Amino acid sequence: MTDEELVGRAVEGDTDAYAALVERYYSSCARIARRMLRNDADAQDVVQSTFLRALRALDRFDRRRVFRVWLFTILVNQCRTAMTGRRRREQRFSDDDVSLHAAIDERPAGAIDESHLVAAAVETLEPLLREAFVLKYVEELEYAEMSAITGAGVSALKMRVKRACEALRPKLEAIYHD
Amino acid sequence: MTDHDSELLFARAGAALRAPHPRDAAEIEALVRRVGAAPVVHVMPARAWLPWWVGIAAAGVAFVIGLGVGRTGGARTTVASTGGRPTLVSQVASIGGGEQSIAFVFVAPAARKVSLVGDFNGWDASATPLQRTDGRNTWSIAVRLPPGRHVYAFVIDGATWVADPQAPLAPEQWFGQRNSVIVIPEDRRS
Repeated sequence: MTDEELVGRAVEGDTDAYAALVERYYSSCARIARRMLRNDADAQDVVQSTFLRALRALDRFDRRRVFRVWLFTILVNQCRTAMTGRRRREQRFSDDDVSLHAAIDERPAGAIDESHLVAAAVETLEPLLREAFVLKYVEELEYAEMSAITGAGVSALKMRVKRACEALRPKLEAIYHD
Repeated sequence: MTDHDSELLFARAGAALRAPHPRDAAEIEALVRRVGAAPVVHVMPARAWLPWWVGIAAAGVAFVIGLGVGRTGGARTTVASTGGRPTLVSQVASIGGGEQSIAFVFVAPAARKVSLVGDFNGWDASATPLQRTDGRNTWSIAVRLPPGRHVYAFVIDGATWVADPQAPLAPEQWFGQRNSVIVIPEDRRS
């Protein structure tokens, strides 16, 4: 069943249809939130809040829009709000190398795999660069979709992705060549 | 490193981050339970005090396929059909003496009963029960209200008190609960 069909049923009160949308998009939302917030518990709160907000607003959803883009827009705004309220914690991660090494050192022996190392590297990026990189390379969105989600222009997003890649390249090369 | 190599490097990093997370299944299950337990999908009384012609105008703008106007309990009910599915556009009727009939519509597929409580019925959960109107999800009732400000809420299964998320919240509380507010304007047609 397409997103449009599930949204139509959910608007009429079919909670099973909305549950299907949750199952379809939860992992994507969680990936974005975990990378943005760098904290699994906070990410879970934000993702759950996002889906419940979307459910309450579903009857006002413009069916001409793409549901996934609309949902991610709510999510990104929720993440930004959560990050704004957490600036003090964010300061702990201000030093790229300290953050990366700490992320590695805190894991038990044998638990360090490729995804953990890459996640730690991505989490060293500035929030807007991290957001752009995750939407582009993790969720594989088009720039037009990213623009709708973030509110930033396509050229600004391309610049953010470029800067994110430049910052990540030496870290990723070190991960993959070690 | 060529541009192609760089692209492969970042694509590989993105793929690594798409690996399934061990907590996803449990978190999805928890959220689906919350969604299933949520009694309110949407409530539409916020539109109920629109003049009756607003519904027809909105339906016309939206290129509605069919339009039916009927009378139920003295209330004019405007229902537009879009794509074969009925969509309640607005419900309001002048009864005379300034009183108007307001249809409260509530979608709660899992509910066994739904009641309307407010300052107009003494907050009595047994006084104004809603009726299922589509045999499955939707509950509704038309209530005559005089012009002015009214505070109300819905009661699900006799126990769960729910404010209308699409209507303004009243600043005051009754029985420790937040409630919604509806303002019935003077009927200028009467």
